[in-house]
Amino acid sequence: MKAPLHKSRIEDDIRVRAYYGKYIFNSHFLIFLTIAAGVFLYSLLGMLSMMEPSIYLDIIAALLMSFTLLPKYRPLLKEADVLFLPPYEKHMKRYFSSMDRYSVWLGIYLPEIGLAISLLLLRVGHPGWVMALFAAMSVLLYIMAFLIRRDAVNSPVSQNTVISLLIIIHFVSLLSLLIHPAFTILGLLLIGGLYFWVQKKQHKNLDWPKIIDYEASMKQKYYQYVSMFTNVRQASKQYKRRKYFDFLLRRPKAGRFNKDHMYEYLFRRTFLRDNDLPMIILRLLLIFSVVIIWVDQLVLSVIVLLFALYVIVLQMSQLYTAQAYLLWPKIWPVKREYIQDGYIRFSHKMIFMIALLLAVIFILLHPVYFYIAAVFPLWGYMLNSYFSKNVYKKERLLSD
Amino acid sequence: MVLNIEKLTGGYSKTAVIHDISFNIKAGEIVGLIGLNGAGKSTTIKHILGLLNPQAGRIEVNGIEIGEDTEEYRRALAYIPESPILYEELTLNEHIDMTIMAYGLEEGMAWERAEQLLKVFRLDEKGEMFPTHFSKGMKQKVMLICAFIVEPDLYIIDEPFLGLDPLGIESLIELMVSERTEGRSILMSTHILSTAERYCDRYVILDDGRLLVSGTIDELRDGLGMPGASLDELYLSLTGGAGSNESTPS
Repeated sequence: MKAPLHKSRIEDDIRVRAYYGKYIFNSHFLIFLTIAAGVFLYSLLGMLSMMEPSIYLDIIAALLMSFTLLPKYRPLLKEADVLFLPPYEKHMKRYFSSMDRYSVWLGIYLPEIGLAISLLLLRVGHPGWVMALFAAMSVLLYIMAFLIRRDAVNSPVSQNTVISLLIIIHFVSLLSLLIHPAFTILGLLLIGGLYFWVQKKQHKNLDWPKIIDYEASMKQKYYQYVSMFTNVRQASKQYKRRKYFDFLLRRPKAGRFNKDHMYEYLFRRTFLRDNDLPMIILRLLLIFSVVIIWVDQLVLSVIVLLFALYVIVLQMSQLYTAQAYLLWPKIWPVKREYIQDGYIRFSHKMIFMIALLLAVIFILLHPVYFYIAAVFPLWGYMLNSYFSKNVYKKERLLSD
Repeated sequence: MVLNIEKLTGGYSKTAVIHDISFNIKAGEIVGLIGLNGAGKSTTIKHILGLLNPQAGRIEVNGIEIGEDTEEYRRALAYIPESPILYEELTLNEHIDMTIMAYGLEEGMAWERAEQLLKVFRLDEKGEMFPTHFSKGMKQKVMLICAFIVEPDLYIIDEPFLGLDPLGIESLIELMVSERTEGRSILMSTHILSTAERYCDRYVILDDGRLLVSGTIDELRDGLGMPGASLDELYLSLTGGAGSNESTPS
């Protein structure tokens, strides 16, 4: 017997997540995560043991929770559903309640981690029952946030508006509860008010095209997230001209205006005009810089920066994959090796620049050990050479 | 002989889609590759381009097979696909730059020719724009410009008139005729038989992955005993008014 639609859609989604999960949580990443989590906990507990109760700790805990209590709604609808499912809308309660349950559990890990860290912070200066109240309120806010985000999809209220309001309400609710438990009522009123407002705005019937577009955008966001770690076939690329980068996109000079340099010409443009990639790399640089400033420990700074280069090299390799499978390189009278040479030249330059930047940050933090910074460009070069070869190998196997 | 195909059998997997096809194109000829949807036109083109490997038979361009010297083989070809395939991240001028670099053209002369073509296709003020924001017809013109600056020995054009406006069609026909005069050859697959009849020197008619007949219009008329018949009438007579494989992918 054929599985019900909700079951098969959820199973398909789990299969995709399991497939990409293998690539994200590979052994290198797990080692890094374990080290990073250990260091973070160690430094956090050490810091907390010396801290006095403070409003700032409460603010950090409330802020952390307000950003993590944002469950995503995934209706798992497809483009063709707009043609076939609307006549059955009234009989789809089971489908949508399954999607509700699936969506609620899907993103639960983030608020769980957030809550664990927040409770550690609240141990300084708050009795157990206040912490329990904080946890209970977080659970309630999570469920309400889910219902509000879900209902907003079928309303004219934009997701950005809902998210902004939710963050503010979460923050105010949790912080006021910590200031005085009686203020819990304020949080309940605020979240209840938002819920009823979105309810009132809801369309009578399902706005199928809007919900399907919403699902498509959620799926793209997931693929974009995964593409930070591995190549994702389904992630559609978007490009935009950034005029401020045009000075980096000069045409090669006469002697270099040939097939030897054509792919470097292409890769530069692909990278600098990619909608996401330059910003992802910038974000990664910022995150890893903040981490080493936070940790402020020599060996861990080196490990974190080596890992940063590893993630960035992985990111860059998607540029090669995107170009290698297109039609024109198969038609032009240019050997495929030129794509590889063009990519390796371009990516070595890019990785060198990034490694140099990380080296500067490292030297600023640990000026006495400036000579260690030499390891970053070298490591970037080795990683880039190794991963490029892997990408070529995979491409060769696929084209065979 | 610019193109010589001998007993070509091939397809997308182990199952053959085209069978035992042979034909050739001489220098300065426009040859129409004609057939219904699923007749095998696109598969034949993909084999010529080297995108598919023949299961049997051989394909030579200027006397060499793709395996002998891939670059030399490809340098003799320019391809215009049925649906425009462009780089989303490149401007129109950058597409031209890439083509010049790929084919090793002399930059100054190639750009001179490109500018003429940009004027012909009324795109001369759109060089800094991204073609992905163009209409389908304009995108097709970008493909045509990139192919025609190359001036190869053989143009392979899949459905050349699809999506073009009447002015674009007229400009393309003029270009094709002028290239023929220069001794270059064109293989074009098309459904528009009336236009093909006016400009093609010979025809290769495929049906169900097999070569039905090839030759000039007079040779086809003689062969079928239909003096004065149009290409449309000859074609309908050959295929019995309908293809035997309308649903087979080509």
